[in-house]
Amino acid sequence: MRKLASPKWALLLTVGLAAPASAQSLKIGAPQPMTGPDAPFGDKFKKAYSMAIEEINAAGGVNGRPLEIVIEDHQAKNALAATIAEKLITQGKVLVLTGGRASGQAMEIASVAQRLKTPYLVDHPSADMITTKGFEWVFRNNPTGSIYPSAFDSFVVEYPNAMPRSAAVVYDNTLFGKTIATAVMKFLKSKNVPIVADEAYPVNTLDFKPIMTKVKGTSPDFLLMVAVATTDAILLTRHAKEIGIDARAFVGFGGGFGVADFASQLGPLAQNVFSSASWSGNPNDPKTKALYEKFHAKYGIWPHEHEVEGYAAIFIIADAMKRAKLTGNLDADRDEIRRALAATDMTTVFGKVKFGNWTGPTGDPFTNQNIYSPEQSVLAQWRDGQLLNVWPKAFAETALVFPDPGTKR
Amino acid sequence: MGWVGGAVAVAVLPILVRNTFFLHVAILVFMWTVLGAAWNVLGGFAGQVSFGHAALFGIGAYTTIILFLKGGLAPWWGIPLGGLVAALASVPIGLICFRLRGPYFSLATLAVAELAKLAALNWEWVTNGPIGFLITTLPSLTVLGRRVDWEAKTPFYVIAALLMAFAILSTAWLRQSRLGAYLVAIREDEDAAEAIGIDTVRAKVVTLGLSAFLAGLGGGFYAFYFRYVDPDAVLNIGLSMEMVFIAMVGGLGTVVGPLIGAIFLTTVGEAVREHFQVGHLIFYGLFMMIVIRFLPEGIWGKVRSVLPGMRAVRHGAP
Amino acid sequence: METFAQSLVSGLLMGSLYAMIGIGLTIIFGVMRIINLAHGEMVMLGMFAAFFSQKLLGIDPFLSVLLLTPAMFVLGVAIYWLLLRKIIPGGELNTLLYTAGMSLLVANVALLAWSGDYRTISLSYGLAPMRPLGIAIPAALAIAFAMAAAITVALWLFLSSTDTGRAIRATSQNREAAILMGIDVERVALFTFGLGTALAGAAGALLAPSLYLYPTVGELLVVKSFVIVVLGGLGSVPGAIAGGLLLGVVESLGAVYVSATYKDGLGYVLFLLVLLYRPTGLFGVGKS
Repeated sequence: MRKLASPKWALLLTVGLAAPASAQSLKIGAPQPMTGPDAPFGDKFKKAYSMAIEEINAAGGVNGRPLEIVIEDHQAKNALAATIAEKLITQGKVLVLTGGRASGQAMEIASVAQRLKTPYLVDHPSADMITTKGFEWVFRNNPTGSIYPSAFDSFVVEYPNAMPRSAAVVYDNTLFGKTIATAVMKFLKSKNVPIVADEAYPVNTLDFKPIMTKVKGTSPDFLLMVAVATTDAILLTRHAKEIGIDARAFVGFGGGFGVADFASQLGPLAQNVFSSASWSGNPNDPKTKALYEKFHAKYGIWPHEHEVEGYAAIFIIADAMKRAKLTGNLDADRDEIRRALAATDMTTVFGKVKFGNWTGPTGDPFTNQNIYSPEQSVLAQWRDGQLLNVWPKAFAETALVFPDPGTKR
Repeated sequence: MGWVGGAVAVAVLPILVRNTFFLHVAILVFMWTVLGAAWNVLGGFAGQVSFGHAALFGIGAYTTIILFLKGGLAPWWGIPLGGLVAALASVPIGLICFRLRGPYFSLATLAVAELAKLAALNWEWVTNGPIGFLITTLPSLTVLGRRVDWEAKTPFYVIAALLMAFAILSTAWLRQSRLGAYLVAIREDEDAAEAIGIDTVRAKVVTLGLSAFLAGLGGGFYAFYFRYVDPDAVLNIGLSMEMVFIAMVGGLGTVVGPLIGAIFLTTVGEAVREHFQVGHLIFYGLFMMIVIRFLPEGIWGKVRSVLPGMRAVRHGAP
Repeated sequence: METFAQSLVSGLLMGSLYAMIGIGLTIIFGVMRIINLAHGEMVMLGMFAAFFSQKLLGIDPFLSVLLLTPAMFVLGVAIYWLLLRKIIPGGELNTLLYTAGMSLLVANVALLAWSGDYRTISLSYGLAPMRPLGIAIPAALAIAFAMAAAITVALWLFLSSTDTGRAIRATSQNREAAILMGIDVERVALFTFGLGTALAGAAGALLAPSLYLYPTVGELLVVKSFVIVVLGGLGSVPGAIAGGLLLGVVESLGAVYVSATYKDGLGYVLFLLVLLYRPTGLFGVGKS
């Protein structure tokens, strides 16, 4: 499959294959990074959205009307994301927004959506701030950075002897890394676990050996690694093992710890490393399995977090549109969709969805955050090159291995 | 004459054009003009090439947003203060970097900008680290008896236009001032300028101060209009390069150049982004190379030298 | 003590690769007084060349250095001949800005062509590190170090014993005198730019198995390489070697004993201090 960004001149993508795009179609706007270093992620969402829309339109669309998605490139720049969101709302006349990808851009989109009174369904961006500012036009399906570690938290509490005697936390100094590290450390401190190392590194660090050398000196019981970049995830783990850190558990937080390359690059070094993610896919579930197969058949790659989040988002939007009374008046329709979203109560491949106002782990009140987000956090483990869910038990595909067999502790 | 026409066009635009997206683009053009003018003052007039101007922009942005969110100071006061703080910060920066000449100065500015970004990422008690700051509501303001609607584009348009006017006027003032003359001398041959008695350090520091003030104004406006500031958005080297680009393409050392550069960047950049799926950075890189090779005086510089009836272009005339 | 030894060794190993990047930059500066901001992209191209030769041709990245060094030399010569030659007379600052534009262009075209997906090179023999005296030394880095050392020795012999090498050193020391001595300095400049580019590409190929590749990695590397050449003294090859090793060690020890967060900052501060107070480099062998 060609992975190159297609050098066609029309970046404005119109996907409504079952029916021609017409004034009848229901437009969704999605700012995504289509060029620049984040482009691979934008591409994942594009594929996911396309597949979801095709499916929905093939089944007759929403109340007979086809869905249409308009993806525009924000190049991972905040200001550009704001510009594009405005453009989609005022020129593109979209009914609802989704996407964003990175939290900085999502913040801008949320701000614009709130001010211009257009609903925005956040599918992937994880900064808590996006749904803690009381924006009633912004909804989020996926877990936030502070909710992310929920599965890990329950694991150390419930699994026998899993409470760390000490923990070293190494994380990148980005919104993502900082939020997760802070949440995890707060939780561990509340359980009186000493944090023997608290190391923030700049994203795309070339060499983790110095940090790991320092961490080794603190002799941690658990090594917790947070990385927003896949490359950092792989190098962190590699250097930790090469330096010879001996821990009862190596736990990675971040999508990069769950991609196929993690195992193929690290080989035996990946064995028994835990990966905490917002979704690892439960193949026990027939719907998940079907999605996996279909995606792979169509695009030649297996879907992960990003793809499933994008896919699910379209279904949530379609569901809301189905229930909304749309009259053709743009402002009124957007408000209708907002109300419909607020009343959502459904299950997608990603998990159950119901938006509510509740207080999150940071202590800040959420507005329109999926109340089931904590359940979506899953702990998986690498076994012989395969990533398998191990916790919570309800989603487990195999038995957990703990402590790490390589440890002398 | 040209000035009056331009001012009228700018003033009338939001009345004629109701399209909010178009107004948004205009606001962007104005903001970039301020930033291009900021760089132009130092790079075009004084000949000091800085690759770190984003640091000054970022200082302005953070100042304005922090004063508002933590101090309750309305952004229309915060923006000029942002400029002021950036100008003050530029003094020690200048004293360090101006000891160096030419490319060494440029490299030093690069290092300073990277240090600023590092500071913003890590001094959380000041900058909130990577989380940044978000403005959710702007304070209410009544002007001439009417409540200002911050959801509309017009108030921002007006403020951006005023900032742009200030930038252009200060550049014009600089050009015909004594300081401006000193800068021409310094740009041509700094040692000779010293030899004839010009206090080059003072001239450069003052010029940097003005440049920093403008960059800080731009930053403050960014915080006010885009409402979200984090280290990556306001302190990245890409921003510094965009400022260089605008000034160069527009015409170094000219007064109107930054406006031309900003229009070019915003319109052509948007078009390239939409139709060619090419990251606009390819466009910048390519154009920078083309301009330096074939059009070193920039678009405006070329226009002036080519159009009949305009007075002969001195190196550095508007 | 073990921590210290480990971080020292890690620092020296990385530093040797930094040094190779720095050597290319410093000889270009020495001969032509050009600060080549696109140097990082040359390293990036070397990295990708090694990656693709492994992926498409099955050639081990360390062996591919033999192929791509001459190829990068030709590229460097082409860039100088077709592009830079006309810009240099416009002055230092123009050239600086031009190379900045070139850097943006190359990095972003690469991004378009190869996408931002990171890539890594895995070596079948590279998985477990060697552990002499309990200090972990990754195999790939050790091989890279050895090859970098060999290349540096070869370069040194070239510069000191061959006519072209001596011409390069002469031009670097004093351009006017070299002209007077009958050296064709334009030819020397052309050759040197090719050589510097080739060294950058080779450094990239050696680095690739130890790091990961992405088209904008040049940004990171170019700043480091400037720190190195300034530390070591602009124009001095031994200076670049020393500067590279020094930076590697400072970063490594800094991350362990000061803070991982600020380790880059240490490099920048050192850079500024040297620029201000010792512009000829820490060892005083550079040109100012």
